[in-house]
Amino acid sequence: MHHLIPLLVAVPLLGAALLVATGRVLPRIAAEITGFVVSGGTAALAVVLLLNSEPPMVEWIGGWLPVGGESVGILVVGDGPALGMATAVSLLTLAALAYAWRYFDEPLGGHSGAFTALMLVFQGAMCGFAIAGDLFNAFVFFELMSVVAYALTGYRIDEAKAVQGALTFGVVNSLGAYAMLMGIALLYARTGELAMTKIGRGLDATGHGGPDALVLASFVLVLTGLLVKAAAVPFHFWLPDAHAVAPTPVCMLLSGVMVELGAYGVWRVYGTVFAGPGGIPAADLTRALVTLGTLTAAIGAVMCWYQRHIKRLLAYSTVAHTGLFLVGLGILTPEGDDGVALYILGHAGVKAALFACAGVLLDRFGSVDEHALHGQARRLRATGVMFAVGALGLAGLPPFGTALGKSVTEEAVGGPLTLVFVAASAITAGAVLRVTARVFLGLGPRPEDAEYETSGSDEEPETSGLLSRIPDTMTTVPAVLLAAAFAAGVAPGFGAVVARSVNEAGSGGAHVFVHWTLTGVLLGVASSVLAVALAGLAVTRPGWTAAPGWAAPLRRLQSGHVGDYVAWLLMGATVLGALALPGVLGS
Amino acid sequence: MNRLRLWLLAVGGAGLAALLVAACLDLPGFGGRRHPYGDRAVQASLARHTANTISSVNFDQRAYDTLGEMSILFAAVLGCVVLLRQARDEHRDRPEPAEVARPVRRYALLVLPVALVTGLYVVAHGQLSPGGGFQGGVVAATALHLLYLGADYGALERVRPLGVYETSDAVAVCAYLVLGLASVLAGTAFLANTLLPYGTFNTLSSGGTVPLLNAAIGMEVASAVVVLLAHFLDQAVEIEEEQGS
Repeated sequence: MHHLIPLLVAVPLLGAALLVATGRVLPRIAAEITGFVVSGGTAALAVVLLLNSEPPMVEWIGGWLPVGGESVGILVVGDGPALGMATAVSLLTLAALAYAWRYFDEPLGGHSGAFTALMLVFQGAMCGFAIAGDLFNAFVFFELMSVVAYALTGYRIDEAKAVQGALTFGVVNSLGAYAMLMGIALLYARTGELAMTKIGRGLDATGHGGPDALVLASFVLVLTGLLVKAAAVPFHFWLPDAHAVAPTPVCMLLSGVMVELGAYGVWRVYGTVFAGPGGIPAADLTRALVTLGTLTAAIGAVMCWYQRHIKRLLAYSTVAHTGLFLVGLGILTPEGDDGVALYILGHAGVKAALFACAGVLLDRFGSVDEHALHGQARRLRATGVMFAVGALGLAGLPPFGTALGKSVTEEAVGGPLTLVFVAASAITAGAVLRVTARVFLGLGPRPEDAEYETSGSDEEPETSGLLSRIPDTMTTVPAVLLAAAFAAGVAPGFGAVVARSVNEAGSGGAHVFVHWTLTGVLLGVASSVLAVALAGLAVTRPGWTAAPGWAAPLRRLQSGHVGDYVAWLLMGATVLGALALPGVLGS
Repeated sequence: MNRLRLWLLAVGGAGLAALLVAACLDLPGFGGRRHPYGDRAVQASLARHTANTISSVNFDQRAYDTLGEMSILFAAVLGCVVLLRQARDEHRDRPEPAEVARPVRRYALLVLPVALVTGLYVVAHGQLSPGGGFQGGVVAATALHLLYLGADYGALERVRPLGVYETSDAVAVCAYLVLGLASVLAGTAFLANTLLPYGTFNTLSSGGTVPLLNAAIGMEVASAVVVLLAHFLDQAVEIEEEQGS
């Protein structure tokens, strides 16, 4: 069984290569069906492997099994979290491909399968990153998923915004990747190893007096790369610019799983490389991740609330939620890890569904502007209902999977950090509910336009012309995704299974029972009520949503200027170093 | 905003620079005797009769990384095909035949076959001597472009049917993957170099699947570079923006 793990990468790549090889003669419908078969087959393989991942599997590619504890080969891991992420990636790719069924207008002269092929490479790259057990190999797949994501983001080349967003995305993420590569080089110089577990042991063996500057620098550089991908403040600026312009099916993958893979990478790399006595002390990691995570959640939530461009609004809500994931992972408890794993799964379904609904608006009206669309979408009842349900899922209304994950994480973090969770989820969900009320119900007066805003009017639809009727696929896919997010919270024993596999992989086998608690349910209900109240206030008192003076500088930081984002990236790396410094000085 | 940017750049850059300098001071000394990975890699390479250890690392020990790197190039090419397609407000113009100075023309046409053969040689001997699919592929692909320097764009386009190169790029990726999957079908690990005999050390057919994977990479890189350059050259030479748009 373990020999099949690398097929999660090989099968989608082979599918993509076949599509490109035959692209000139293949009719479009055949290309799309091939895409379904390949991505669905990979998803099925991921599910089968996941069901067999207890005890966790390891596979040495090329059969280079360690001799005397040493190997020259690359290993991939087949434990619950790795295969769980690969499954989530594959299922979401399948959903995105189904949503994009006969979606784009022109089949790119002679390259009918190009979009599907890019999506398949994206799927293979994300699976490869998820199962990587070798740090350099993780970097290779990190790069691969970045390269494909740039191309997919800029897919609609006729729009300057799309090209600009893809360029920003490319510059910032490439810099993150270079930082990561430099960190890997430092670790290799110290330990002579590339497998994550071996680097960890090498650091413990050489760092007798605890970590030194080299360990700190490698930690900062590797984490910079991963946090750029995870869009943590202040590395997050690329995300709204890219997600607002990427084609909707791509947004579903970017926000649903790619960003979360950054958080997953932080968990994997810290747990296997830096968690030992020669690595970075736990207190420092907690300080770094909780600080950055809280900031990310706060800034993401505030910026989300003050958007009128619906896709940007959803993008910022992703930023806010990754902040929450980082806080949950940062406290380094088995409960926190379990909660975040469940939260990520639920969030993937909900966020992808919301983007899918925003795509319906874009293709029906040629606009994703909350103000311009005021009351326009009254007749899109199904989409409206799904948008509202998605908002409640975002708020963590029990029994959604997001609610279960959020409540477990909240109990794990405890204290004032619980407030961050309640507030961030309530504000982001409130913003989505506000959009629902205005766009789909036409409630409240039409808000006044402020100056200098990214409005989201005058967008090009992604389909051939404005849709007069919404195709069934574009309604079914978000419905299925929401149902999946709902099922993740309701299915009996699902939480326990996720928790067990996460703990077996990363928490030394500590067994934790994950279940609904009264406090968790109450907090979930509280966030949902708060979200509804915020949305109600915003709709009835539109003056209230106008950005106050203090939010203006925050919004100006999102300047669209790549140079600014690069400066922030350098600043972020320095801040990360400063936050982790005490442990190095104290040792 | 400008001042804020400069401040951020100064503080962030200084902090990161300080961190890197401190880290470099902790690096192991230059030219030491301890090379744990290098020693193991050389041993493994000799055990499988691959004279060029680098190729053994690339196409045997860490062939899975090479799969990723090849896919990056493949995805980059596919991305360029998508991003550099003709936009709605652009049209194609036939490039004018250009006048080329005689010495340049003679030199280019003289060197072209030499460069091409050199590229193919470097690919073919990847398992024996420095070089391999990546390096040889780039040399072979750029050799073709001497026609652009020596003659003109039209001449280059005649020897460069893009469809063929795009297909061969994808076919090479398929070949690499199929070689990897073959060992899974044989019941061993993905990309295991156990299917073919290792041959006689230091001959062309040594190293098991290394020469095959190396050849697949050579074909992939050569086609990919041709397609990449073609799309960028098209942007510069053929595709023009519509007037008044």
